Amino acid sequence: MLYYLIVCRSLTYAQRTAEVLERGGVPARVLRSPKQIAGEGCSHSVKIAQRHLSEALCLLYQADLMPKRVFAREQEGVYREVTL
Amino acid sequence: MIYFDSAATTLQKPPAVARASAWAIEHLASPGRGGHLAARRAAETAYTCRKLAAELFEVDDPQRVVLTFNATHGLNLAIKTLVKSGMTVLISGYEHNAVTRPLSAIPGVNVKVAAGPLFCPEKFMEEFRRQLTQKVDVVVCTHVSNVFGYILPVEQVADLCRDKGIPLIIDASQSAGCLPLSMAGTGAAFIAMPGHKGLYGPQGTGLLLCSGSAEPLLQGGTGSESMKQTMPAFLPDRLEAGTHNIAGAAGLVEGLRFVLARGPEKIGRQEQELTAQLGEGLSQIPGIEVFRDRIGDAQAGVISFRVEGRDCEELCERLGDMGCAMRAGLHCAPLAHRTAGTLDTGTIRASTSVFNTRWEVEQLLLAVRRVLKEK
Repeated sequence: MLYYLIVCRSLTYAQRTAEVLERGGVPARVLRSPKQIAGEGCSHSVKIAQRHLSEALCLLYQADLMPKRVFAREQEGVYREVTL
Repeated sequence: MIYFDSAATTLQKPPAVARASAWAIEHLASPGRGGHLAARRAAETAYTCRKLAAELFEVDDPQRVVLTFNATHGLNLAIKTLVKSGMTVLISGYEHNAVTRPLSAIPGVNVKVAAGPLFCPEKFMEEFRRQLTQKVDVVVCTHVSNVFGYILPVEQVADLCRDKGIPLIIDASQSAGCLPLSMAGTGAAFIAMPGHKGLYGPQGTGLLLCSGSAEPLLQGGTGSESMKQTMPAFLPDRLEAGTHNIAGAAGLVEGLRFVLARGPEKIGRQEQELTAQLGEGLSQIPGIEVFRDRIGDAQAGVISFRVEGRDCEELCERLGDMGCAMRAGLHCAPLAHRTAGTLDTGTIRASTSVFNTRWEVEQLLLAVRRVLKEK
C-alpha cells in the first residue's frame, strides 16, 4: 500500500503537524522515521494516505509548518523522496 | 493539618493529579524513545502538557513550552542563555535566590537592583525607569514576591523593556495559575514557573516558556538527530536532554486542566480574599507586624508577619505542632527581606491555595492567639 511519510525534525514538531492535519480532516499518525529516511539519526514522521498528500501540504503551508522532507513508501523497505 | 505553605508547594491538589501520575508510572514509557503504545501515550501526554500551557499563557507554539524540573531549572536556562560575563542585569528588589545565585555564578556580571517599598508599584516603576539605562543588557523580574505576595507591575516592566529592546525574564513562580500572564502580551524572552505550586502539578515539574532558542544546561539524548554530537538547534529538544519526568507531566496536565477550567483570575481572587481575611485578623493581635497591602490590589495569596520579641522559626514550629503548616525564615529570598527591612528577623509566611477556606483562616488566627498567650 502506498503512503507518504512527512519527516519532521522533532517529536513535538511531528505532533503539531499531525494535529494540524487531523484538524483539517486528514487522518495522520506520528511514528518513528524508518532508519533509511531518518536523516541525522532518530527522527519522527507523520504518516498520511496517498490520496491526502496535496491537501496535507496545503494545510501545512497555511499553518507555516512546511515539511522538511516527504517520502513515498512504494513497497516494503523502498522509499522515494518526493520533490516538493 | 491546616496547610498554608502553598508558596513552597501546593499540598492539596485536584484528585485527578495523583490519579494521572499513578497511572503514568504503570502505563507510560518515554516520549520519542519508541514506537510502541506506552511510548506513544507518553508522547501524547508531553504534547498535551505543552498545549495546555500554551493555551493558558498565550504561547503561539507548543514547541516553545519546555518541560523543566522546577522554576529554578527554567530560570537557570534563561539566565545562562541571555547573561554573559561583563553584562549589566537589572533585577527587582524582591528576587529569589533562584535568580540571584545564577547571576552571581556568572563572573563579571554587574547586577543593579530596582527596589522600592512593599505594595507600592508606582514607586517601584519610578525606580525601575531610573535604573533602566542603555547599559542594561537583560532584565529579570519576579511577578509576585514569594515572601510578601507583592504583585510587581510586570506588564509595565515588559512594556518598557520592549520599547528599549531589552530582553526580559519573568519569574512566575508565585503567579502562574493565580494571576493572568501572557507570553504574547508581555513579549518576554522567557517566563519560568514551577508546575507544583499554582498549577497544582506534582513536585519535579516546571515550565519554561521561550520566545526563541536557548543554551542547554545538559547535553544528552533527545530522541532526535542522534547522529549529531551537538544538541539539536530546535525547541523543545534543545533543552530537554534525558528522560522526561513523564509521571510528573501527566499530573501537571490535570493541574493545568483544573486551572484552565476555573480560570487564574477566579483562583487568584479567592486566594486574595483569604489573605485579606488573614491580614485583617493578624493585624488585630497586639505585637504582630503584618506586611499587607491595605489599600490596593498589589498582594497575591501570600502574606508575611513577625512578632516583636519572638523568633520567627520557633514560633512557626510551635504553630506547626498545633497543626498549622507555614514557613519561617528568609524563604530563600534574602534580597526581598533586605528590601523590605526584615533581613534581621525574617518573617513567618502564610500562603494560600484555592483549597484553603475561611474556616481554616479562622483556625490559624485562633492558633496564633493561643501561642502568643503561652509563656
